Amino acid sequence: MPDYKPVSLVLILLGLFGSSVSILLGFIWVPGINPESVQQGSAESYRILFWHVSFAWCSFLAFLMLFVGSILWYLKNDEFGWRLFSTGSDMGLLFGFGVITSGPIWGSVAWGKPWDWGDLRLNSFALLTAVALFLVLSRKSQPDTNQTRDTLSIIGLFGFFLVPITAVATTLYNRRHPPIIIIEGEDTGLPDEWKMVLIFSFVSFGLIFIGVSLLNDMVNQLESKIEKYQRVIDRGED
Amino acid sequence: MGEPLLLELEGLVVDRGTRSVLNDVNFKLREGEVVALVGPNGSGKTTFIESCTGTIPFIEGNLYYYSDSDERTIIRNKVGRNSNIPQIGLTLQNDGICGEETVEEKLFSVLNMNEGSKNAYLIESILSDWGLYHRKSSRVSQLSGGLKRRLSVLSGLCPAIFSPQPIVLLLDEPSEGLDDEACNILTNWIRTIASRGNGIIFTSHDNDLISCADRIIKLEENKPITESSGTSSGAIVSMVESEVFTRQVSAKSLINWAIKMELRNPIDTISRLTPALVALFISFSLIGNINYETIDSQIISLLVLLPAFITCIISPALINRFNEADCGRWWYINLGTKFRPISSFIGASILLPLPLTYLSWIILIGDKSELYSNDVVTWLWLPALCMLDLAIASSALHFLVSDLQRSQASSASLLLIFLVWPFLELSEALSYIMTDGMSFSLELGSPLISCLFASLISSLVWLVAVFLPDA
Repeated sequence: MPDYKPVSLVLILLGLFGSSVSILLGFIWVPGINPESVQQGSAESYRILFWHVSFAWCSFLAFLMLFVGSILWYLKNDEFGWRLFSTGSDMGLLFGFGVITSGPIWGSVAWGKPWDWGDLRLNSFALLTAVALFLVLSRKSQPDTNQTRDTLSIIGLFGFFLVPITAVATTLYNRRHPPIIIIEGEDTGLPDEWKMVLIFSFVSFGLIFIGVSLLNDMVNQLESKIEKYQRVIDRGED
Repeated sequence: MGEPLLLELEGLVVDRGTRSVLNDVNFKLREGEVVALVGPNGSGKTTFIESCTGTIPFIEGNLYYYSDSDERTIIRNKVGRNSNIPQIGLTLQNDGICGEETVEEKLFSVLNMNEGSKNAYLIESILSDWGLYHRKSSRVSQLSGGLKRRLSVLSGLCPAIFSPQPIVLLLDEPSEGLDDEACNILTNWIRTIASRGNGIIFTSHDNDLISCADRIIKLEENKPITESSGTSSGAIVSMVESEVFTRQVSAKSLINWAIKMELRNPIDTISRLTPALVALFISFSLIGNINYETIDSQIISLLVLLPAFITCIISPALINRFNEADCGRWWYINLGTKFRPISSFIGASILLPLPLTYLSWIILIGDKSELYSNDVVTWLWLPALCMLDLAIASSALHFLVSDLQRSQASSASLLLIFLVWPFLELSEALSYIMTDGMSFSLELGSPLISCLFASLISSLVWLVAVFLPDA
């Protein structure tokens, strides 16, 4: 098993530095927004978007990983699929939590309320994050058997079946409510500085994502290896 | 041996986590044969028995059962389950009996017989043979460990006595917890039942019991299985003869069983009703003194439906009953793919949503009903009835989570958040009826369409939770 630890640590440190720089650039370089378009709170809170969007993009990757892993395990009992599943659920929880905590900060500014039951993205992420939390807690608390893996991969797939259903439900629900108040500028295109900082932030978060994923996978594999050795000791063999 | 085959395992590979427990096992069980599985703890004896029930995943291999006409049916392969097993006799290591049922009821359930006087003497005769007659009306929870084990073993043997054709009996550690007298009865019964053509597989560490086997299969971790001949010791004893034939355990047996358990000890109803009533009275104290005209009808409709929603999402008591001594596992093995959909129905809160919704309306709205349309009382049943779909979906999700070995350590509530959607749709429907009266329009947003969508969403959740695990 290759040792990813040095590479992972470098990537994570670079990513953390980049994400800190991106939020700093967001404050000092990117033009602000019109305070009149703010529904509630400080206009500066709007800059949480530089992290929020990056969190969201990375969670898409994590949930995709979780989905592919679930399918591979469910259909083929593929060990690599289970590794993807394990890392995908951990990353999904980490970055999904980032999305649903940073989202309401932006929501308060833009909509005047932290949560909107009619917003598809928000609700899908909340549900997927809840599923990821369930999977992470269950993986840690359950004995690692094929039956446990089967059930958890079904719940992983269940999470993805929720997305189209959530889409239908939120569309129906949203149709009967006043539209979300979008502040000026978002629909008409972002200024270049915004785009650059967003991309820089995403690349930084991407580095963190890759670094943590590699570390996570390595830890999971090592745990499995230790478990094997412990069983050999249980049997009293050399 | 030239006797017809009953069961066959072909090239079986089964893993537990990262450990390969059974590796390339080939096994055949013939009519009239008694096979003992021996080996140290963790060698895969129970996994072998579970493989014969077709309920655990195979990495490789096939499980076949043979019918009278020597026709071979594939039950499970590495892709998944192909069909349900035929009637078997089954004794689980953990008994598989809920403490709430009585001794007599357990045998009637196992044999899928009506509890009429016509069949009662048969059961009484069997119970007498096993020293359980005086306890026939006792709840299993009142029995000592030894008597409980006797009942569990008897439940595994009984189907063979009343079966019109030879069947397979799977007994996991049947002599564990039995005294010498009971062990002796067991040995003789095994030989007698086998002499009638039934095939028996049992696991054991007990040398006396192992001596009654025709074949002994030794399982050891990371070693190929070895086989030797047994001494087939044991006497043929007289056993009740009956014209009444048992039927395979059916969905109806499970439904009857679940209703009986709930009537005897209504913990499901109480555990659902209590939080619902607390929520109702909290809502009443919060909005009771507020001018209703200032409150959005959507909020009122949410509060009216909230108690029913709470009853629907609470974990079914049936799960606890199933978890007791692997009782649910016993039903699952016997019912196969029918188990999950049926359990999701009988575990759901079917009776409470309707009366609770009306009670909620009366308490929360009471004399302020003139503020809302007269249609509400007439049509309140509609969202309340659609709540049943939500209840069944919630029950299915709880059962999905209960598949986990340590399900009590999992937080099913995280998955239930999703059911807020059908709830919101139903509250929209009620809100519409409250403000504009009932409408039979089929436009989006009309009460009928909102209720339809709520049911549709719940049904989709139910389908995923019920059919994916056994697909």
